[in-house]
Amino acid sequence: MSQQSSDPTIYDGLMFVSLGAVIVGIVFLIMALDGYGWSNGG
Amino acid sequence: MNNIVSKILIVANLVFSLCFMCFAGAVYSFQAGWVQKHEKAAAQVSSTKSQLDDAIKQKDDQTEKFTADLSKEKTRANNAEAKVNGLDQNLKQAIGNQGNAEKERDKHLADLLVAQKEAQARVTETNDARAEIKRLRDQNNDAIAIRRGLEDKNLQMEGQLAEASSRESQFLKEITRLNDLLRLNKIDPRDPVIGPVPRVVQKVDGKVEESRKNASRSQENVLISVGSDDGVFKGMQMTVYRTSDGKANYLATIKITDVYPDQAVGLVLEDTRNGTIERDDYVTTKF
Repeated sequence: MSQQSSDPTIYDGLMFVSLGAVIVGIVFLIMALDGYGWSNGG
Repeated sequence: MNNIVSKILIVANLVFSLCFMCFAGAVYSFQAGWVQKHEKAAAQVSSTKSQLDDAIKQKDDQTEKFTADLSKEKTRANNAEAKVNGLDQNLKQAIGNQGNAEKERDKHLADLLVAQKEAQARVTETNDARAEIKRLRDQNNDAIAIRRGLEDKNLQMEGQLAEASSRESQFLKEITRLNDLLRLNKIDPRDPVIGPVPRVVQKVDGKVEESRKNASRSQENVLISVGSDDGVFKGMQMTVYRTSDGKANYLATIKITDVYPDQAVGLVLEDTRNGTIERDDYVTTKF
């Protein structure tokens, strides 16, 4: 059994920031689609 | 998490996540302008389409109008062409009529010349006829004057005839009386007359027209104003006298030597001369 370290590293933080960035991007896209009235423009 | 690949993937994940977030934010930030532009472009397209429809409709209307105008103008052109053809025919006919009229005019001019010549001849003939009429009138007037003269002469002759008839009856009465006288004196009227019988001297009165002596001034001849028509005959003796203060003065006796119808020449008998004979002295057969 290998020893596992429990302390978050910088990479964990980076993962968390990445996740936050994706969520924020998804929120922006939802807001943009809401501006189009959920229409594809066609 | 400890190996390098994981670390690289985590970093890549972070980068891509950040890119996605930026892209989504950019989209959200500019999507309102895109919608407005789309709507504006759609409205513009719709307006342009409407304008295009209007322009097409207007073009169709104009086309129809131009077609109708073209048809009308074609009709007018055809009518005008027909009218021009008719006018050409009328012009040709008018030119023909003009030619005929010119021929008629020339003919009438020729007739006019002939008529003028004829009228001139008629005028000349009329003038000649007038001159002839004038001559005939003058001749007629002369004939009338001659006829009047002849009528006067006829009246005079009739008077003389009446006078001769009267004298004839007087002479017949005288002959009867003389026959009675001869019968009373027992003389036969058929006995021949023996010896010269002096002519009967009638009473003749005249005037001296000229008195002229001969070259030797031994004789004087007198021209008197009475002749044989007045009963003067050759050998007759006449007395020349002159009146002054109502008294007759005897001048001489002349003996007639030459007799003319209305004049006579007498020789002055010098042994009877009692004065100088001058013009306008009186002569008479019975002083």
